[in-house]
Amino acid sequence: MTKILIVEDDQALCDELSILLKRSGYAVKRIKNFQDTLKQMEAADVDLILLDISLPGENGEVLLQKYRKIKDTPVIMLTSRTEDIDEVLSMSYGADDYIAKPYHPTILLLRISAILKRSMKTPQTQLYKDIRVNFVKGSLLRGNHEQVLTKNEMIIFQNLLEHQGQIVSRDDLMTALWDNDEYINDNALSVNISRLRGKLSEFGIPNAIETRKKQGYVLI
Amino acid sequence: MKVLNYIKDKLWVYVIKAAAMTAIMIFLLAYKVEGQAICVVTVIFSMTVFFSELWDYVRKKGFFDQLATSLEELNKKYLLPELLPQPGFYEGELLSEALSECGKSMTENVAEYRKQSREFREYIEMWVHEAKIPVASLRLMCHNNADADKKMITQLKRIDDNIENVLYYARSENAEKDYVIKEVSLQRVFGSVAVRNRESLQLVEAEIETSGLDVTVMTDSKWMEFIFGQLMANSLKYMAPERSFVLNVYAENHDDQVVFHFRDNGVGIPAADIPYVFDKSFTGSNGRKDTRSTGMGLYIVRNLCERLGHRVHIESEQGSFTDVQIFFSRNNFYKMD
Repeated sequence: MTKILIVEDDQALCDELSILLKRSGYAVKRIKNFQDTLKQMEAADVDLILLDISLPGENGEVLLQKYRKIKDTPVIMLTSRTEDIDEVLSMSYGADDYIAKPYHPTILLLRISAILKRSMKTPQTQLYKDIRVNFVKGSLLRGNHEQVLTKNEMIIFQNLLEHQGQIVSRDDLMTALWDNDEYINDNALSVNISRLRGKLSEFGIPNAIETRKKQGYVLI
Repeated sequence: MKVLNYIKDKLWVYVIKAAAMTAIMIFLLAYKVEGQAICVVTVIFSMTVFFSELWDYVRKKGFFDQLATSLEELNKKYLLPELLPQPGFYEGELLSEALSECGKSMTENVAEYRKQSREFREYIEMWVHEAKIPVASLRLMCHNNADADKKMITQLKRIDDNIENVLYYARSENAEKDYVIKEVSLQRVFGSVAVRNRESLQLVEAEIETSGLDVTVMTDSKWMEFIFGQLMANSLKYMAPERSFVLNVYAENHDDQVVFHFRDNGVGIPAADIPYVFDKSFTGSNGRKDTRSTGMGLYIVRNLCERLGHRVHIESEQGSFTDVQIFFSRNNFYKMD
């Protein structure tokens, strides 16, 4: 299980973040005492750190700078400040991403999974049942039978595949699409889903994507 | 300092001196002094008056002329006391003292207000950052709690937008050091604004067409995001109810500049209002129909654009469209290489 460390001093926010991350299938660790934050960060055996900038004691930027000299675990900076200079500084200190409060929960999750993917070097292809999914080419392949997916269909399929067996809401799919500069509307999403279903049924899996009324879709 | 005016000013002095001269002549004539001696006395007296006046005129002219040129050349007139020349005569010294006294007092006064306004601004910025934390928590709570209403998220977004507005207004008034100019992708900036407004855009079933946004311009990405956000809020606020909402966002790439267009098919702006839309607190006839209009949005937009060195222009036809254009000059000045 992927482990994430939250370094955030606001308790309410930290609680909600933990709930969000736990629901998305991550194991969460958090720092409660900000006396020796850096030591705790070092000691924590995690795959990713969410680091707030304004912390009691040493601030996030300073911590990041020191932390980078020791470890290269991916770090996402969380902040309520909106100055560009903070972003530039954080990035130059070695942050992997920078998200301003109040963050969109789904986008936060998308960024986390993007960075984890990058750092864990997930392969360019993945198996869905006996179909090889090629994310780079945007295609599905079984034997000699190949189906090319459009960018939108690929984004949808990839999201469903990551949460295979779980419900993915239309809202989450929309956020993922919009985050990739595809500003489609509700109807277009339905059209894309039905096209994706059509392409999957050509592999002999007609009911791969199930609709859950008022909740979303599930990839079986 | 003009000779004629100087003489006019001293007219009474000359009259008195002339009277004195006449009195002396009458006195000398009465004592039957020789004509030659009278002549010599007259010449000596006149020469004395002439040279003393000339000397006085020259030294005053030197001082006041320099004063006048300094005043004319100075961009900030209040700096005059700092540039005052040494007067070298009594009235001048008095004036100079009074002026520098004035200057000092004004400087102290301005410094006091500057300090107050800076402290207030710092407080506002700090407050904004503080206020965002509970908003962030609430946002996550809504997401984590499946029963939470979509409406709550909409209201939260409104709170967040309003908080953001305060921050940018506070900064736009006094912002010399608050921006970082770097290469920014219009695609990325517009993308994050679109995602931020996704719920509202989806609610009105907006159709968004983008093209040519894969260019970079030299600007500050945070401020641009705020500017696009304002434009987006305006477009959403002034939709035409009878047709479906279409947003056309595109950039034209020219040799010397990039022109960014933000075009909606909303109610448009009456021709008479267009020259004033960027003015502070101007709400126009559209705004008066909508009580939420503060007249600050476009004012801040233009203010920020000017500070960042971009030109902003608005084209509109009432009842059909509004097209806000931002001109980014292609300037290699900022590039590091």
